[in-house]
Formats: sequence, structure tokens, C-alpha cells
Amino acid sequence: MILSSLPSRIDRDLYPALMSPEMCAKYPADQKAFVRIDTSLRVYWHTLFDICPELLEISGPDGLSIFRPFMAWAEERKLAFDWFYYLWVYAWLRQSPFKEQLLADQKYLRSIMGASAARWAILDRGRARGIAIGCADTTDFVIGWKCRSVRFGRQVELIEPEEPLPPPPEVFGYFTLPSFELDIFPGWQGVTR
Amino acid sequence: MRLGFNFTLGSTYDMVKRLIAEGHIDYCEYLVDNFFCVDPDELAKAFDCPIGLHVMYSRFLEADRPTLVDFAARLRDCIDATNAIYVSDHILRFTHEGRAFFHLGEVDYSGEYEFVRDKVLEWQEIVGHRIHFENYPSIMDGGLDAPAFFERLTKETGAGVLFDASNAVCANLNCGTPFEAWRNVIAAAHHFHVAGYRNSIVEPFIALDTHANSLSPETLAFLRDFRSVFDKPGATMTYERDQEIEFEDIVADLKLLRNLFGESQERRHDLVVSA
Repeated sequence: MILSSLPSRIDRDLYPALMSPEMCAKYPADQKAFVRIDTSLRVYWHTLFDICPELLEISGPDGLSIFRPFMAWAEERKLAFDWFYYLWVYAWLRQSPFKEQLLADQKYLRSIMGASAARWAILDRGRARGIAIGCADTTDFVIGWKCRSVRFGRQVELIEPEEPLPPPPEVFGYFTLPSFELDIFPGWQGVTR
Repeated sequence: MRLGFNFTLGSTYDMVKRLIAEGHIDYCEYLVDNFFCVDPDELAKAFDCPIGLHVMYSRFLEADRPTLVDFAARLRDCIDATNAIYVSDHILRFTHEGRAFFHLGEVDYSGEYEFVRDKVLEWQEIVGHRIHFENYPSIMDGGLDAPAFFERLTKETGAGVLFDASNAVCANLNCGTPFEAWRNVIAAAHHFHVAGYRNSIVEPFIALDTHANSLSPETLAFLRDFRSVFDKPGATMTYERDQEIEFEDIVADLKLLRNLFGESQERRHDLVVSA
């Protein structure tokens, strides 16, 4: 149902809708508020599919069969959408009709883990230099490094260890690295909402 | 008016060096918190020019004090090492009820004024430095309240405004905030940003601050009409480009700005001394 009387004078009025395709649909499409919300939702879409284009192979070219139900699922659970964003997409895919396709090829998991590590390296402002992300579906893990010189960007590495680390107790786990060396394994921390 | 370029990514390092060497820019602005794991001395020596520091993710309206104290300690190291000509930050909402915006939110200038003012005072006290806060490229009609908000904020906190001219153009196109309403803010400001923007995908079109396009005719007209209000001793204008980074396009825009404001009368040495 489209509601023409939704408060929409200032940006703050729209905050709850900025990550909700369902709420977006309640705003008249010919109004600025709708375009503002649509613009916000497109950023979530592009953040997922521009970085993990492989997912379009299983969703179809517009990605909406993943994007819309995932965003609704995330809203129900009030997921924070920090650098865990991609990991939660994988968690949703794992219990979705796409599960079989997802688990048939590890490229999806590698893409998701790499994207998440890169997002941590971009957004985190703590003192850690790097992050390792592991998954119960693979013995490989991914490391994201923050920028260590003005001449270089952030870096993401796939690690295929000769001696696997113990698997995370949940689907995903992570630990941070205080230096630019992978020289510790303090155990896996769980992904939080 | 001294011209600068925003340095956000290691991949543009050689290009920025060339912009400096060829005299297209007079200083460089670091998106400083992208480089918190880089030795501050390396930041100071990386470019042969004065340095401005622009903060993106302090999240000072939302972060707790211990987090801000830790952030500020690293920022302070960078300020001291680079002898920064200014420090700037954003008044933005990064989350709503703990959930992250990927397209950041504009504050409620009327309803949240006192909250923002107190946070600005606290953040400047923690950093131990005057901070210049950037205006938002308003979409919704709350943007009409922005000029009065920034005018009052600077009077009551001692903070400055990093006035983004193209953000003001976006606000003018999107919600009709008159350029004239910004006159006092521009007159009091010494540090400016300018960049390209583009229209939204769907109609009714809104102008989005993308840093991916050349300067618009509307932006250039605004700068021309208010040229004498912008230009003043010590003034800086950073040209921002984060996407579609083409050297020739950037130089073309920088030449337009040079022609508009004239050659900087202050040499790089003077800019450092004035800091």
C-alpha cells in the first residue's frame, strides 16, 4: 500500500526506510523521498554485487531474488551491517533456496570472505593492522590488511594453510592482527549482530 | 586561493606527485584516517607540499569517549607530524538504531542542534585542535536549515566550516537552499571543497555528491558569483575526485579553478607558515 502521508520533510524522517525495500515501496514513486530511499538501497545493492558479481550467476542479473529477501531477513534480525554485511549474506544464502548452488562452488565463499576482509580494512578505525576470517565450510581463510604505506592500498590475501586451523565454532569466525604479520592465532571470535 | 587535491588511495600517489610537480596544486589533503596505520613521518614526507587533514570515520556523534580518545591520539600524531594547515571532519549520521547506513544520513539541524553542538565541543576538546566541519549535500528539505545551523555552530563552539561548494549546489538543486543563505558561512570560512556530482538513476532527479564527474556549470557559476567571498588570505580549495580518476580531466578542472581565482599569491612556504 502506498501512503502519501508518511513523514518525509527531513532526512531523519527517512532513516528507518533507508535500508528497507519494503518501506521504500510505501512511498509515492514520484516524490523526492522515494528517490532518496531508492538511492540508499542502491548503495547496499552495489556494495554487494559490484564486489561479489559471482552472486549474480545464482540470483539472475538484477540480483533482486537475493537482495530483497536478504534485506528483509536482516531487518527482522536488526543486523548492524558493519563489515559483517557480506558474511550475513552468506548465512542467509546457506538457508535459502540457493543453498545447493552456493555450496557447489567455493568461489562464492571466497568472494564473500574477501569482500568482508576488504570492508573491514576500509572501515575499521581500531588499532589492529589486519583481520583473518575463517569459515566452517573451508579450511582456507582470508586476511585483510589495512593501508601500510601511502604508496599502497589495502590488501586481501587468500591463505591455504598446510596445517589447517581449527574450524570456527559457528559458520564464520575472525581474529585481528596487531602487526602486519600473521604470527598469532588467538582463537576465533564469533560474528555479532 | 590555494588549490589542493584529496588523497584517499595509494593508487593515486604518482598522479598527485605529478599534480604537485607541474604546479596544478599547492597542497594535498589526506583522508587521514585511511592512513592511521602509516607512520606519520611518512605522511609528512610523502608529498613536497603542505598538508591538510580530512577525517571521514571519526563518527564523533555516535562513538563513545574511549573510542574517540584513541582515534584522537592517532589523529594528533598526524597533525603534529604534518604541521597540518587544517583539520576537518563531517557532521553525519553513520547508523540508525545500531544499523549502518551505506549512504550516510543528514542530521536534523533544528531538532538535534544542542546535541551536535555539545558533541562538537567535546570532540574539539579531545583532539585539542580546531576542527572545520563539512556541510552535507542535502537532499531533503531539512537542508534549508543548514546555513543557520552552521552559522550558529561556529559562533557557539569556535569550530570552523569546511564549506563544500558543490555540496551547496546539490542542496540548492535538491531542496532549494539559496546560495545567498550561505554568504556569512562562506565569508567566515577559510577552507573549501569542490567536486563533481551526478543525477540519481530514477526521477524526480536528485543531485548526488559522487566525486566522479567534472565540475558542473552550476558549481562554476556559484564560485564565480561569490568569488570575492570565497577568496581571502589563507584560503584553500580542495578538488575532490575519488572515481573516474583521469589525469587530464582533473587538470582541466584545476585550470578552470586557477583561471577563476587567479594564481595563488602565497607560495607553498607561506602556506606552511600560516598554519
